[in-house]
Amino acid sequence: MPSVVPGSVIVPNWHRCAESKEFFSKILHKRKRRKFGLLEAPVLPPHMNVDIVRYKIFISGKSGVGKTALAARLAGHDIPTMHYETTGIETTVVFWPVRLRESGRVLFFRFQLWDCGENALRRFDHMLPSCKEQVDAILFLFSFTDHASFEDLSNQMARITEPTDRIVKLVVGTKFDLFIHTDVTESEVNRFQEVWGVPVFCMGGDVAGGLGEVAPLLNSLAENLWHQDCTAAGSVPPPTQTEPGDATTEIMV
Amino acid sequence: MLQAETIQILCLTATSGVPLFSRGSSKQLPFSVIGSLNGVHMFGAGQNTTLSSCETDRGGRVMWRVFQESLMLIAVSGNSATSELQLRRLLENTWNCMVLVLGLEELGNLRNVERLKRELRACFRLIDRLLGQDDHEGMMGELTQCADCLLTPQPTLLQEALDAFTQAASSEFGCLLVRGRVAAATEKWWRLAPQEVVLLSALVRSLSGMSSCDYPIYLPHGSPTVAHRLLRFQLLPGVDVCVLCGPSPSLHQVESELVGCFWSPLTETLRRCLEQGERCLPPTVNLHRSTLALLLINRETRRSVSVCAPPRASPSPPDTAVPLLSASKCWELLRLFYVFAVTRYFSMEESSSTPALVDPPLQEDFSQGFSHSPVHCYLVTDECKCYGLQTPQHQLYLLMDLTVPTFALRSIATQTLSTVTMAMGF
Ligand SMILES: Nc1nc2c(ncn2[C@@H]2O[C@H](COP(=O)(O)OP(=O)(O)OP(=O)(O)O)[C@@H](O)[C@H]2O)c(=O)[nH]1
Ligand SMILES: [Mg+2]
Repeated sequence: MPSVVPGSVIVPNWHRCAESKEFFSKILHKRKRRKFGLLEAPVLPPHMNVDIVRYKIFISGKSGVGKTALAARLAGHDIPTMHYETTGIETTVVFWPVRLRESGRVLFFRFQLWDCGENALRRFDHMLPSCKEQVDAILFLFSFTDHASFEDLSNQMARITEPTDRIVKLVVGTKFDLFIHTDVTESEVNRFQEVWGVPVFCMGGDVAGGLGEVAPLLNSLAENLWHQDCTAAGSVPPPTQTEPGDATTEIMV
Repeated sequence: MLQAETIQILCLTATSGVPLFSRGSSKQLPFSVIGSLNGVHMFGAGQNTTLSSCETDRGGRVMWRVFQESLMLIAVSGNSATSELQLRRLLENTWNCMVLVLGLEELGNLRNVERLKRELRACFRLIDRLLGQDDHEGMMGELTQCADCLLTPQPTLLQEALDAFTQAASSEFGCLLVRGRVAAATEKWWRLAPQEVVLLSALVRSLSGMSSCDYPIYLPHGSPTVAHRLLRFQLLPGVDVCVLCGPSPSLHQVESELVGCFWSPLTETLRRCLEQGERCLPPTVNLHRSTLALLLINRETRRSVSVCAPPRASPSPPDTAVPLLSASKCWELLRLFYVFAVTRYFSMEESSSTPALVDPPLQEDFSQGFSHSPVHCYLVTDECKCYGLQTPQHQLYLLMDLTVPTFALRSIATQTLSTVTMAMGF
């Protein structure tokens, strides 16, 4: 399924709007991200009339590419500086509020990120099926410092998905901050996006930027997942035109 | 050889001495030193002696240990204050971590050393945590090999929920951890080897940020060649429930169908357990107000509770001669006193199930010269007063502040033991 034009389904950059404050405050605690156990969710007063929608996201990519680091980044946890192999499946829950463009309705997305160490995936047969069970989206990772990982993207996508799967697919390039060692050029990335019709996000560096740094990826996930569900339910909203000049490429550092 | 604070672990193939990994200090030992450490052990073996440990004249300590006749672990400490017991535990725990992650077969497969080297990297996270001091705070299990427990005011409620949840997940092995301490466990979980219970708690602690996990693990004693799945769910930040499963059910299934349904009704109870904080005893159990810390071990069940209760920096007159000890200092002193008492006077609970692990006793000649075994001991230092007490079922290690008269220690310790054991049935 072709990906949605960014900003056509949800309000883009909503986290910067003043009116989103009361919603984002539910996922923050002392200027950091609030931690939620499985029995918890953001506490929303009934008058806000906000629904929580749940999705399962699988993070795929070879060992050391930065899957565990990405999950930590998106959840606002401390990013591991060392590479310790993940020896099984680890999931991380991320809540993210979004305002729908058409109806003005606010939704809380609950993304559960599934991160499985590549070596564990190879050693134990049950891991991949488990990660793919009822999965809604897959993030395919490559590293800007490893050209082979970029070349392998198409294989990777073919290996774990079928063309008929109803799964949102996004590509994330990690270690974009290590631009000095960059192995993958911008034009290569642009070409990939054109050929595959899959948006590519660039990640890396300190999380000092707070929400702004993760917003484009989380918003895109929300937007594509919501669109996918609406399509399935047969209620595709007419595609709204975004402001001209909105690039499909979203580069953030 | 090494900086004073650091401990390094080396792993080599036992027969040919090929280095497989080294963890611990940021500065690796030079290859020549590693070679000599291996060489001197081999030399001993050639003379039909087993070199197990030594102290260097510059205050270092080295301990060797061969596992499964295939791999040798060497612990090197730059500090002679690191006791033999600590190093021995470190080697055992490291080995158990390696088995936990990779299984015995993989570890015994020395035909492809390069491959084994690669595979061993998967153990580094756990091994580094064993070596790191930060998350040990208040965790005694890695030293005592008894599970760190938390005694809650409503144990039956949690026990019933856990039993039901575990059964629903088609398992018999279930455990509820609060801040890394066992608050409830199924009967079968308690039948795991004590080292396994301790190690699984450490594994769960190392995963603290995650919402849920599905980890393939081998049980070093119970199932070293067949992997099980450890499913772990973070109910609240600081409260984890885990079950050991076979191939099914899937993580997704247990999480979406069982976790909320069994545990949501108990959310408030779990929150109250969290509020107990570092104190592993319910608020209803009153300790003597001069208590700095205590460790109580149940020798039969191989469980322990530990409490750290250093005096708060209160607005009381600052002229008291007693310096305030920080919590981490208290834990450290408690650990030192445990090592002191257990290596000199008391007996240590060793599991007899693992003949391969029987080592020369650490007891000094002192206790071996006597036909009786001591049941009380005390120690007065310039930081605190310590009292140890041993009964057939329990061991109590108590740290009191200096204001307590030494002659009162014995009665306070006896009183504390009965208060805690009676109130909690521990
Ligand atoms: N500079 C920089 N380093 C990164 C970035 N992402 C990951 N890393 C580093 O890359 C190393 C590997 O990252 P992990 O996230 O642990 O790798 P992984 O994909 O989970 O690997 P496996 O669990 O073995 O499959 C770590 O040392 C990270 O700190 C990034 O965006 N920038
Ligand atoms: Mg990982």
